Amino acid sequence: MTRKVKNIWQGLQRRSSLAILITAAVLIETTSVVQYLFAYRGTKQVVEQYAMSELKTKNMEIQREVRSVEEAVSYVTYALERNLNNPEAIYTLERALLERNHAISGCAVAFKEGYIKGDRWNELFVGRDEGGALVQRQIGDENHNYFELDWYKETIEADCGHWTDPYIDNAGSKAEVCSYTMPLRDKDGDVVAVFCADMSLDWLMEIFKTQSEASSTFLLSSTGVIIAMTNNVFENIEAVQDAVSNANDSMIDKVTRAMLSGDTGRAKINKSQVFYGPVEGGTGWSLAVVFADDVVYDRLNKLSINLAIFMLLGLGLLAFIMFRTVRGFRKLQVVNAEKERIGNELAIASGIQKGMLPCTFPPYPDRDEITMYGSLVPAKEVGGDLYDFYIRDEKLFFCIGDVSGKGVPASLVMAVTRSLFRTVSTHIDKPELIMKQINDAMSEMNESSMFVTLFIGMLDLHSGILSYSNAGHCPPYLVTAPNCDPIPLEMDANIPVGLMKDWSYTAQSTAIRPGNVVFLYTDGLTEAENTSHELYGEERLRKCIAGCADITPHALIAHITDSVHAFVGDAEQSDDLTMLGVLFNKYLTISGNTLHLNNNVQHVPHLANFIDSVAEANGIDPATTMSLNLAMEEAVVNVIKYAYPDGVIGDIDVTATVEDGTITFTIEDSGVAFDPTAKADPDLTLAAEDRPIGGLGIHLVRQLMDSIGYERRSDKNILTLTKKYNQQ
Amino acid sequence: MNTTINEVNGELVAVFSGRLDTAAAVQTERDVQPLSNCDGKDIVLDCRALEYISSSGLRIFLSVLKAAKAKDRQVFITGMNDDIRNVFAMTGFTNLFQFR
Repeated sequence: MTRKVKNIWQGLQRRSSLAILITAAVLIETTSVVQYLFAYRGTKQVVEQYAMSELKTKNMEIQREVRSVEEAVSYVTYALERNLNNPEAIYTLERALLERNHAISGCAVAFKEGYIKGDRWNELFVGRDEGGALVQRQIGDENHNYFELDWYKETIEADCGHWTDPYIDNAGSKAEVCSYTMPLRDKDGDVVAVFCADMSLDWLMEIFKTQSEASSTFLLSSTGVIIAMTNNVFENIEAVQDAVSNANDSMIDKVTRAMLSGDTGRAKINKSQVFYGPVEGGTGWSLAVVFADDVVYDRLNKLSINLAIFMLLGLGLLAFIMFRTVRGFRKLQVVNAEKERIGNELAIASGIQKGMLPCTFPPYPDRDEITMYGSLVPAKEVGGDLYDFYIRDEKLFFCIGDVSGKGVPASLVMAVTRSLFRTVSTHIDKPELIMKQINDAMSEMNESSMFVTLFIGMLDLHSGILSYSNAGHCPPYLVTAPNCDPIPLEMDANIPVGLMKDWSYTAQSTAIRPGNVVFLYTDGLTEAENTSHELYGEERLRKCIAGCADITPHALIAHITDSVHAFVGDAEQSDDLTMLGVLFNKYLTISGNTLHLNNNVQHVPHLANFIDSVAEANGIDPATTMSLNLAMEEAVVNVIKYAYPDGVIGDIDVTATVEDGTITFTIEDSGVAFDPTAKADPDLTLAAEDRPIGGLGIHLVRQLMDSIGYERRSDKNILTLTKKYNQQ
Repeated sequence: MNTTINEVNGELVAVFSGRLDTAAAVQTERDVQPLSNCDGKDIVLDCRALEYISSSGLRIFLSVLKAAKAKDRQVFITGMNDDIRNVFAMTGFTNLFQFR
């Protein structure tokens, strides 16, 4: 995934989670708002119902009190009018009134000036003392000039029963009162006095005592004075008053006007609801119930706030969960990206690994001595198989190996092995020593106990001598001709590389003839499994090779690959499959005058190649060449057979020098002192039955060469052979 | 080096081709093993395609001859080239074998 796509994807994720969060928040908030509105409306309805019932109840209670006062006053008025000239009777009637009506705190008859002779003021009052006992006295005087008081003037003016505004009665009841007054008439119907019954506002207050916390009630007189109110009215009404003082006057005016004109209704003044209605009867009073929103909706608001907090917490939890989930997605994304990255890196590693192996075929288009082909098919992206080859000093160094295990660890070991092979073999010519050095290096740093089965071969292109060392690898096959059974190379048992430091690896050698193919493979070939878990096996491999008409490496490997594929069918490849074929076409023409051999009769063809090359280079005739060949073979074979003990690999160096039509060969070895020239000639006259089997070699050398000389020098046997030849 | 043995007209015919040098002698010695059981048959060593022989090859020929003589049978050599004939001469082998 590119960075851009990743960004878009992350943006989408962020956006979608944000969208979910916002939706949830909107849903929750809408729900709470709707819930609040419903609750608010419900509360409002309840408040209204409550206000209405409160209005009604209070109204009735007030009316009852007012009526009782009015009725009592109208009864006593009649009696008073019959006894206007009898103060004692008046007092008696007043006392009777007070005794029957507890709502009345005091009452008085105030006569007009001059009705009673003598005194200017005459107000006959009966009231209650602190203990509740009735007291009577005349209270009119200069200080209490009732002619100037509202209740008196208004009553005279109204000429009928009349309720006063609340006032403080300093003379009589000595309390805040509201009085019901009635004009008293004499026989002629003229108003001669005013009867005044005080209703203590404290008494009226009792009605307002049972009041809920949420509401306040007050009673307004016909002139707009508050007569009574609930105890808490000022607490609650503070808000109202605040509201009133802050609100626009028109609103209060409107409510006040409505109340004074006896209307029923409701109004909202700032943060309070006012429900009002008139008190029935002739008082002209109006009653109002006030609900402060703060108080009424306090619980609702608290509930809503709690709910909102809970919802916010829930939202927070949701956000947290979503954050975690998104983070989980991110992690998954990171893991996927990691997988992708590893996949990419594996692909790159696979490329690098392939690049390590020689993969251009034919590898040496300019050489006709050898033809090669290699193939490596890893089971996974990277594998633990390897092959490698290169030519140095006219020797083909090659190897094939199989690292234990598969995948990346194996591929790393494979890379190390291949590098070591290249490095070590640049300065060492003996496969067993190359193997030893690789083994020592790998054993030392082998933390993970991985090992490699490795075959290292060195093919001398001059001689066709193949020296090889095998560290636990499956033996390569020597294919001598088309349609021939392949011959497994003989192998010493050596442990795989990487297991044990200082292991001495052994080597063998064999002569490869022109036309022979060395076929190397890893066990991924013989252990290829088909769907029924059968192995391809060596038997099938041998038969497959034996059935191959074209053994050039490419054709041979293609033939085997087809055979394995046909066998395996649809089964998954379980192991790396590696094959390498080396076809030795012809000996490399020797350009120099020296030849190095080992004490192995298989090296003899190399000698023949060397002598042919020297002879050809010097224009020596075929018959002489034949003689030289035979003589040198006999001399060298003699050294091979006698110079070194069995099992010891020894060196034999052959040098040719040509001077004045004479060719001289020297054969040097470091073996035990041995002078072949000291040997007596065989008796050639004996009959076949009596002839010894051996002893002809040196005789032939003597016959074929002009001279033969032996010398022991510096622990070396030096044999010198010369022959004159005819230049062509 | 290649060696094949056939029975032709009551005789065992060993056909040699290539270079019979010391290196090849090991295999050739194995290849001519059947000749030691000649069972009353004469042996013919067909050397028409033989290019080269060294003392190791001669030893094989001598072994075959000895085994045949022990069974009172004849060994004939046929088709030798000059080089090989020369080697035979040098080693006195010309006196040991009958040539056709």
